[in-house]
Amino acid sequence: MRVPYGWLAELVEGLPDADATADLLASLGLGVEAVEEVAGAPAGVRVVAVLEVAPVPGGDALQRVEIDDAGARRTVACAAPNVRPGMRAAYAPPGTRLPGFDGALEVREVGGVRSEGMLCSPRELGVYDHGGGLLHLGADAPVGAALSELWPADRVIELELTANRSDAFSLLGVARDLAAKLGGALRHPAAGLEAVAGDPALDDGLEVRVADATRCPRFTLRRVDGVRVGPSPLWLQRRLALLGLRPRNVVVDVTNLVTFELGQPSHAYDLEALHGGVVEVRRATAGERLVTLNDEELTLDPEDLVIATPDGAGGSRAIGLAGVIGGRGDSVREGTTGVAVEVASFEPIGVRRTGRRHKLVTDARIRFERGVDPALPEAASARVVALLAGLAGGRPHPGMRVAGEAPAAPAAIAFRPSQVAFLMDVAVAPDAQRRMLERLGCVVRLDGPDRWQVTPPSWRVDLGLEVDLVEEVARLHGYEHVGVSVPQLAFVPPPTDPTHRRLRERLVGAGMIETIGYAFTGDDDLARARVPAARVRLAEPQGVERAVLRTSLLPGLLAAARLNRDAPRLALFEVGHVFLDHEEERLGLLWRGHGAASGWRTALDHDAFAAKGALESLAEGLGATLELRTAASPELHPGVAAEVLWDGAPVGRFGRLHPEVAAAWGCGDVVVAELRLPLAARPPRLRELPRQPFAERDLAVVVPLALPYAELRARCAAAAGERLVELFPFDVYQGPQVGEGRKSLALRFRFRHPERALTDAEVDEHMNSVIAALRADGYALRT
Amino acid sequence: MNDDILGQIAAAPDQRELQALRVRLLGKKGELTERLKSLGALPPDARRTVGAALHERKRAVEAALEARRAALERAELDARLAAERLDLTLPGERVPAGAHHLLTQVTNRLLDVFTSLGYEVVVGPELEDDRHNFGALNFPPDHPARDTQDTFWTTDGRLLRTHTSPMQVRYMETQRPPFRVVVPGRVFRNEAVDATHEAQFHQLEALVVGERITMADLKGAITEMATALLGAGTRTRLLPTYFPFVEPGAEFAIWWTHPKSGREEWLELGGCGMVHPRVFEAVGYEGVTGFAFGFGIERLAMVSYQVSDIRDLFRGDLRLLEQFRGVA
Repeated sequence: MRVPYGWLAELVEGLPDADATADLLASLGLGVEAVEEVAGAPAGVRVVAVLEVAPVPGGDALQRVEIDDAGARRTVACAAPNVRPGMRAAYAPPGTRLPGFDGALEVREVGGVRSEGMLCSPRELGVYDHGGGLLHLGADAPVGAALSELWPADRVIELELTANRSDAFSLLGVARDLAAKLGGALRHPAAGLEAVAGDPALDDGLEVRVADATRCPRFTLRRVDGVRVGPSPLWLQRRLALLGLRPRNVVVDVTNLVTFELGQPSHAYDLEALHGGVVEVRRATAGERLVTLNDEELTLDPEDLVIATPDGAGGSRAIGLAGVIGGRGDSVREGTTGVAVEVASFEPIGVRRTGRRHKLVTDARIRFERGVDPALPEAASARVVALLAGLAGGRPHPGMRVAGEAPAAPAAIAFRPSQVAFLMDVAVAPDAQRRMLERLGCVVRLDGPDRWQVTPPSWRVDLGLEVDLVEEVARLHGYEHVGVSVPQLAFVPPPTDPTHRRLRERLVGAGMIETIGYAFTGDDDLARARVPAARVRLAEPQGVERAVLRTSLLPGLLAAARLNRDAPRLALFEVGHVFLDHEEERLGLLWRGHGAASGWRTALDHDAFAAKGALESLAEGLGATLELRTAASPELHPGVAAEVLWDGAPVGRFGRLHPEVAAAWGCGDVVVAELRLPLAARPPRLRELPRQPFAERDLAVVVPLALPYAELRARCAAAAGERLVELFPFDVYQGPQVGEGRKSLALRFRFRHPERALTDAEVDEHMNSVIAALRADGYALRT
Repeated sequence: MNDDILGQIAAAPDQRELQALRVRLLGKKGELTERLKSLGALPPDARRTVGAALHERKRAVEAALEARRAALERAELDARLAAERLDLTLPGERVPAGAHHLLTQVTNRLLDVFTSLGYEVVVGPELEDDRHNFGALNFPPDHPARDTQDTFWTTDGRLLRTHTSPMQVRYMETQRPPFRVVVPGRVFRNEAVDATHEAQFHQLEALVVGERITMADLKGAITEMATALLGAGTRTRLLPTYFPFVEPGAEFAIWWTHPKSGREEWLELGGCGMVHPRVFEAVGYEGVTGFAFGFGIERLAMVSYQVSDIRDLFRGDLRLLEQFRGVA
């Protein structure tokens, strides 16, 4: 919310300068976004009266305007739609420099009119953002006066208010906090208005029917006749402009002013729009329509609360959305003479739901949904009525319509002043605490030295618990006084690694680069990567490519591979969540190109075996075993695809990306893996060091191409017996010497006895068992 | 002959030839050996004079052989050393250094601080329900405070967590106080994406609950974190603000030197406060107090390392990722 400093200073006695005030506000928890310098009207601009307006032939909207410039008659060209004889306007004579224009104004011909300067819109003057017509000044702007004196520069403190402090959505609320902090007096804008208070006992010809007292606990209506609808006086226009609002006419401007001044929204209806003077507050009927002030046509819901009036045909017609926005049809316009001023309380949740349903964020909604002071309507009504009387010549009717009960007093809160010292570690004497609470508007009753009953003021709907009062004392005292300590707790954290740091460190150590992708993805990307279709969809996504939650880390890695398609070498990993029937955490890996980064020597290829080696190293480093079991998967090359067994348990897939998928992504020929986390890790366990040398034997065996090494190995290991300690291939050969469809594997066996050296005869015996087993399987041996 | 032999030795082209000469002269049946053996047959006088000359000659031959051997060895070594010469200015053959993501590095640094202070690291799901993200954290249904959370709802009525605070609830639902935990994790906000706003980002959250935890403990924890990050003498500031799940609530800032501008200023980091009694109520805790604080990792990472566009962090662009090989 924008808080004009000059206005605030009128409400708070002894307010320091704008910057110091901003610091005070921040220390009170009214967050300051910025302190803005707002320029006044440009120097040289004068108030003039418009004498005559004549259309320029063929000049479209252009008009020749004669003005009275402090007695001098001048002519200007003007295309503004609202220029009319008798109005007062802002005139920039030749030589004036306007913001946003280069150089000074000159006398020039416009459509055949010799224009001596120009009449200005608010935007041209830089006073507020409206370029659709002239700044329309009221009678309080004397002809000939320098506008820069009437409309000086000011500073605006922009507050970012939190949802709890509904009371601070007004100048009054902000002023209250400052006055409480400073200990100075507060000038209440609605004080001393008893003389214009309405009397519910007097008939004013109006009638209020509230059909839903839960949603509208209180509704007041005041009649004001004889209103002259015209531009607001300059000070009021200026205040609204500083608030960021566009002045409309004095009636609308007054209700807007009071919304920001007191925090109580109100609405003025044209009396003629109220059929028989009757105002109804009821639920909308299904499909009922309402055109709002903003010319938006809404289709209403039975949950919406509307302000309505009889339609004269036995029915009822909505004229406003309660607590959110008025209707167009009932609006006050030029020519309106009688108005009915609504000032009401609406239940926050209903207003919020209606606002959300119709996507309307208005100044009224913002306040009602947070909670407006339930005791405020009468005072705010008096303020609106007094302003209409003073500024628009209105004659308030002494009567008043009031529906609903006066609000109950807020409940008292049991409060122990000792809690302030305990929770905040600040020393504030009980007397001082009491004074602070009272300055905030609380009523304090002492039932005992540490047993108080504190009744918050009606406008602080956020105060309900003892801790709320602790905070009030602490923030008035200043959070800067809170002490610093370190608690002693009997707590020893377990040595867990839920963020997989050890895993990540090993991968980084192996030269891999970590990426973090998006949890969102699109159906197309999932399909293109041939991974499971989405299980979780977002209700309001940011575009189709972010419409669903990922079911695999693969699309993100492939997108990164595509993005980095010019990089000769790529070794990426991501640790992230995927969303299937359950949310699970995974490790995704991707390799492409050369492993080593020197261009001048033969480099290691990042082929499937290099990638598998990386996983094997990872497993080794974590004390686990790694096996790949051939298994097809749609996204993988059918000949280079496997299930990953980590410590014997299946944890994911590994393989070369299917060429069709690679082509679809433009990511190049990549090897990928995706493993479920956590991966089992075992702490190292020391084995006794072998004291005997091993005996080594080699054997070459010719087997069908399709026979997996893992099977052959298992057969050999079983036959070799328990003295076998190592078995690995040291050559794999395919070619004419072994024949079509076959391969030769050269295997190295190492045997060891734990206690003594094996004899050659014993080793030969083990090898003979292996040879016999292989022969039995029909495999040829090469020696 | 004398000079001729010594000349042959000195000219021996390699160790093999030299060895042949040694055998020819000094071997078991070598010329000099034979002549020394035949000394015994000479009369004593002749034996003395001839013997002395022969021994003299043998020493000269041995010295020549040794000199030639050493010279040949040195020449061979020189040749080998010359042949083995490498241009070490050529690039090395290497697996390039890997890199943790910048956000991981910043997170790890923070986790190191907190684990050294006795905090347990816990993590939770990103897909959450209303109760954990809102209800149990004292965000009543239809409360405007929910507007600040720009929630991604799923079509089945769940939501992407808008903060790491649901983990407060999850932890307290299963554990008993006292404890200190820290929760890193990914969170989501459905707001317009630009250079400083992403629909996903990361937070770190701390929660400490015990019998007599106070706001001063909170300030102490934030100060310790700031000190570990920025060094001794770091100042911290609390300003009142509102979050539904804490009361009193505050935002906290750290006084630091902006790495780019070099100016000293407050770095607004995040929110904090004393755990709201209704949160304790929601998880069935009684008779305890606690504090919580949390902040965004991206912001800290971006200002610390001058990343100008948050979206760059999630694109997987090697040119960016590679730059953080050396960090932390």
